[in-house]
Amino acid sequence: MGGKPACTLGEVKNRADLIIYWGGNPAECHPRHFTRYTLTPKGKFTPNGRKDRTMVLVDIRETPSTRAADVFLQVRPGRDFEVLTALRALIKGQPVDPDRLASTGLTLDQLRDLAERMKRARFGVIFFGMGLTMTRGKYMNSSAVLTLAAELNAFTKFIAMPMRGHGNVTGADTVLRWTTGYPFGVCFNRGYPRYNPGEFSTIDLLVRGDVDAVLVVGADPAATMPQPAIEHLKRVPTIVLDPKVSTTMRIARVGILTAATGISAGGTVYRMDEVPIPLRPALRSPYPTDEEVLRRIRQTLAARSSG
Amino acid sequence: MLRIKGGKVYDPVHGQAGVVRDVCIADGRIVENVSGGRVIDARGMVVLPGGVDIHTHIAGAAINFAREMIPEDHRRAVALVRTPARRAGIGGVAPSTFATGYMYASMGWTTIFEAAVPVLTAKHTHEELHDTPIVDKGCYLLIGNNEIVLDLLEAEDYERARHVVAWLLWAAKAYGLKAVNPGGVAAWKWGQNVRGLFEPVPGYQRVTPARIITALAQIAEDLRLPHPLHLHCNQLGLPGNFATTLETMKILEGRRAHLAHLQFHAYGGDDWTTFRSEAPRIAEYLNDHPNLTADAGAVLFGDTVTVTADGPWQYLLYRLTGHKWGNMDIENETGCGIVPYAYRQRNLVNAVQWAVGLELLLLVRDPWRIFLTTDHPNGGAFWRYPEVIRLLMDADYRRERLKALPPKALSRISLPDIDREYSLSEIVIITSAGPARALGLSHKGHLGVGADADIVIYDEDPDPGRMFARPRYVIKGGEVVVEDGEVRQTVLGREFVVRPNYDEAIEAFLQPLFEHYYTVSFANYPVELERVHPVEVRSLGE
Repeated sequence: MGGKPACTLGEVKNRADLIIYWGGNPAECHPRHFTRYTLTPKGKFTPNGRKDRTMVLVDIRETPSTRAADVFLQVRPGRDFEVLTALRALIKGQPVDPDRLASTGLTLDQLRDLAERMKRARFGVIFFGMGLTMTRGKYMNSSAVLTLAAELNAFTKFIAMPMRGHGNVTGADTVLRWTTGYPFGVCFNRGYPRYNPGEFSTIDLLVRGDVDAVLVVGADPAATMPQPAIEHLKRVPTIVLDPKVSTTMRIARVGILTAATGISAGGTVYRMDEVPIPLRPALRSPYPTDEEVLRRIRQTLAARSSG
Repeated sequence: MLRIKGGKVYDPVHGQAGVVRDVCIADGRIVENVSGGRVIDARGMVVLPGGVDIHTHIAGAAINFAREMIPEDHRRAVALVRTPARRAGIGGVAPSTFATGYMYASMGWTTIFEAAVPVLTAKHTHEELHDTPIVDKGCYLLIGNNEIVLDLLEAEDYERARHVVAWLLWAAKAYGLKAVNPGGVAAWKWGQNVRGLFEPVPGYQRVTPARIITALAQIAEDLRLPHPLHLHCNQLGLPGNFATTLETMKILEGRRAHLAHLQFHAYGGDDWTTFRSEAPRIAEYLNDHPNLTADAGAVLFGDTVTVTADGPWQYLLYRLTGHKWGNMDIENETGCGIVPYAYRQRNLVNAVQWAVGLELLLLVRDPWRIFLTTDHPNGGAFWRYPEVIRLLMDADYRRERLKALPPKALSRISLPDIDREYSLSEIVIITSAGPARALGLSHKGHLGVGADADIVIYDEDPDPGRMFARPRYVIKGGEVVVEDGEVRQTVLGREFVVRPNYDEAIEAFLQPLFEHYYTVSFANYPVELERVHPVEVRSLGE
């Protein structure tokens, strides 16, 4: 089995000489990633910055990130798992049938070159994005990339990290883990936490119509979720807390505008590597914070149930 | 106000072993006398100071990583259903934070110390400690692989290293200094480890594990920290590592130190097939050197998850077992590894490990210098402490258990030859009075006037395992929080933080280095004091 060989982003800044992005477009989706952490910064053991590093991009199409890459490998959509599996074989010196690679859009020479670069690196890292985790194979792809990185540690230092994004998703995951043991998809209806992705994850609950009220905080499910889930949001009382009138707020029964976290509300955000960063508001907002609204709702409910 | 009436009081600090007397409480502390208030009839019961855990992993990025790695354990774990007095949670080998507080308190432990905290993620640790109710707590800063400190030792600038360490300790809002595999975790950043105490750490000319250990032990003394350097020695888990442990104790040359989870550092043999106990030699050295304390890090058979900053060891464990492997290197400071693990009675190495933990507890003669831990969750979960207590108090039971070990193991251990049985007073010392003293917590671990009213009351029971597993009452800061083993009300415990002296000018030295090496801004690095609450700050004089 693989696992999760990870590090904080400063380790990448200080040490990494091989940076691989897989199934993502950081130039547009994480625009500070290259300059703060991975490519251009001059770190403790990477004194020449970009010159000390090689960047490989694996994706299904050219994107603005391609320009930053030293090596671009264009994989056929949905064939990442096969490529990862072939790489696992190649780093161990096992034979790989070039004909069976044909469906991936990559050649054996390309993969041999990548496998060699990985083994030769002093400190390698793979950042994998939703182009890997949310396409054919899904969690199997995540497992394959994490296992590849774990196995590379037999040759050199190697790390793999998901390119998480969008607000404080890592913080939500972190807090849920310490309070319940699980990162998401947690159900409390028996009075204790239970976890079952596919059963208790949001889209599944909505599509099956299992919930009769929805509270949305700092997310916009109506903009991204499948239509049957959105239909259910419209059917049941949906309450949305958001700093702006989001797509979900437009279809919700109740919308409450709140102060924008990081701009006019403080708090703590967990970076994608789980480093906690304090937020200090720069502006004042006429709106209450999410925390204040939730606390007032809870107080009102508690007063009603005791009265 | 509260009066505990007529119980048999065990208070080793005051030489009381089974003295029948009343214990009176007002304003959260023990007082001479009270008139009025609740009375607990404790006749036929034993009254002890609340347990103090000197080394456990219960809060922060590392244990939270472990929680993420083992949903299969959560599913088979005890579920804590919400009640009016407590929140929901899960138990198991890495319980959720609220569950951790309830489970420690339900066992009679009222003060616990998280043993491994990086500065960079210390905010997270304090958030979790805040969400660990009832118990008082504190944490130790991981400093033995901090590259800014190592670079200063390379430059032989001890003075500046001392100021930097003091600054970092306050930045983390920690209570003590911890070194894990000194130099080895820094080497792991390149996939390496250190060899022996006297070879330079990879990447350095002069800095050796020995230099890191002696410098940090000296810094802890110079800063007058209430708890000395808390040391996880090099070569954890490896056959023959007792030699490294003995060398480590020798190079301390009289400086105070606490040796963490000593069980994992007391092995002989050349490889896994010749693996054997060297606990007697380690215990003998400890017996002769009063500058040292240790905790057991005892192993219990069964499933658990291993969690340590010792990244290279965890990688080896992953290669040995083929289990899942989590790794999290923290920039410039430390590492972390997670591997689920099962200790099996029929496995030679595991059987020896089980014996070594007990041998150390039984062969170290002075109970004030060896403390009960399982290095939770590494040797077993903390809620299994009553099992260890039974093994210590009942030699017949121990002999019974030895029969289940592989016959080959019996020639590798000395446990079969040990007849010592712990008295109840000695158990109080290794679980409460001793660790409180080693931590410099004068208001914990005893039942004298002025002590914190952290008290546990058990129905007397000939089976100590059963007795310790289910207190009749637990009182924390004067409040009755547990009755009949159930949490009846939740109080907030407080955190202990030390504020050492340092030259403020050290920030001017640190900031440019920091901006070069780190990826967060200098202003965002220290833990804000407001984040830690309720808090008791101890300022340390010059």
